[in-house]
Amino acid sequence: MSVLEGLRFRPGNTFVHRLDPRVKLLTSVMILTTAVVHIDIILIGLLLLVEAAVITAARVHRLWLRTVRGAVPLALIVFIISFISQYSREPSILVSTGFALAYSFRLVVFLSSFSLFFLTTTPDEMALTLQKMKLPYEYTFAFVSAIRFTPVMAEELRNVMDAQRARGLELDKGPFLRRIRNMIPILVPLLVNVIRRSYELAEAMEVKCFGASKKRTSLRVLKLRRADVFFLCCAAVLFVAAVAVKVLGLEPVKLYPNLGRYFPV
Amino acid sequence: MVFEAVHYTYASGVEALRDVNIEFRDGEIVALMGENGSGKTTLLKHMNGLLKPTKGRVLVDGVDTAKTSVAQVSMKVGLVFQNAEDMFFESSVYDEMAFALKNFGFTEEKIRRRIEWALKFFELEEYENTSPFLLSGGEKKRLAMAIIMAWSPPVICLDEPTIGQDSLQKEKMMHMIKMLNSQGRTVVLASHDVEFIAELKPRVVLLSAGEVLADGPCEEVLTDMRLLERASLTPPQVVALLKRLEDLGVDYRVLDVEGAVEKILKVIRK
Repeated sequence: MSVLEGLRFRPGNTFVHRLDPRVKLLTSVMILTTAVVHIDIILIGLLLLVEAAVITAARVHRLWLRTVRGAVPLALIVFIISFISQYSREPSILVSTGFALAYSFRLVVFLSSFSLFFLTTTPDEMALTLQKMKLPYEYTFAFVSAIRFTPVMAEELRNVMDAQRARGLELDKGPFLRRIRNMIPILVPLLVNVIRRSYELAEAMEVKCFGASKKRTSLRVLKLRRADVFFLCCAAVLFVAAVAVKVLGLEPVKLYPNLGRYFPV
Repeated sequence: MVFEAVHYTYASGVEALRDVNIEFRDGEIVALMGENGSGKTTLLKHMNGLLKPTKGRVLVDGVDTAKTSVAQVSMKVGLVFQNAEDMFFESSVYDEMAFALKNFGFTEEKIRRRIEWALKFFELEEYENTSPFLLSGGEKKRLAMAIIMAWSPPVICLDEPTIGQDSLQKEKMMHMIKMLNSQGRTVVLASHDVEFIAELKPRVVLLSAGEVLADGPCEEVLTDMRLLERASLTPPQVVALLKRLEDLGVDYRVLDVEGAVEKILKVIRK
């Protein structure tokens, strides 16, 4: 669950929070693309540093670290698999460790690339972003309500679990099949609550004239400011540089044969 | 049941209970009162071990709740939640009631007898084979109580038993609480329904921001205007009315209509 922690918005008022959400989305996409394109350990490390710097500037680094920590088990699996596959090709512990490190490291950067966007963007801003991307409002609304209701659902789940435990249900006891069966008293009330809530939400939306006019206007209109353009330019320059390095074949692992011996090229 | 210097802090950092010391004696009715967020529900969840104190300890029948399972404590302390629907999942009222009894390992024969008794007590006999989801609001609330009372715990805790209930249902609730208490059971209820509590006249523990503001008889706590104000509760209507007549020499420390009439007549006759 802690991987998802890093995707939940926390209010803040740093310059990163105030950036246009489209700029943040684009930056996140650029970080993701760079992580996908490169496997060079030095470049991935640099990328992580840049990401960490921006996230620290937004003062959400603690939450981001939690996401990173949550990604560790997954990274460990990748580490083991790539270690084994590399070792079977070339039985050298040092080289295999280098390869496995690079691949699992990249996964962490990959997973946390969208933290910047999700941690500093309000659900409303996300809706505006999606609308600017010409997505029909119904879909935007569904997406944003899904995000908004996640904490509510978590709270409800806890209530249901408490109520059943008070009736002597022991969730973490007994053989595997029994534990699966124990989920029924939790899932049924939760499902019933969700369905009821969706009807209530639908009624509330109708009361507020959802879909009454074809053309919706927004209270807040997204507008690029000078700071947004500046930030985007910086990100774009770095991105172009990273791609150029790839295209021209100037990665440090290629330039330094010593490095290339232990890490994937 | 004893709370010894209990502190509780949620994972979010919210301090919900601060240095709570309360002793619940056998056969008592105790009302936990306070505004929303004062810590009533958190306190109730400590009684059957759903929450364990971050500091201090809770003893039930001499056993520390932190050192035993929720199921074990729940045998002695039955907790009825505010939202009854959070627990329904079976297709009939009978099965719904049998669920907990099976968890606690009662025999089939005993289960049948217990359920029959509880259904009768809570006036739900006709719904034995109905789906719990089809019951009315008041019936659901009574079923939630019946489910807990079926295994007959010596202590029963009710979270906001009067919320969303009409006056007839409230009257029934009052009657049932008194009946359960007269059978020797300890009843603890969390409520901010001042009128209901004023009529029930239990011992009142007043909570505010996770701290115990006052602990004493209903007649003392609910007529103390300064205490009520600190706990953000409005005084019972009878008290508010008599307080207005204080200048005429009327004593306002009365909770029921009969008593109030007596006090007013006393002044008029003078």
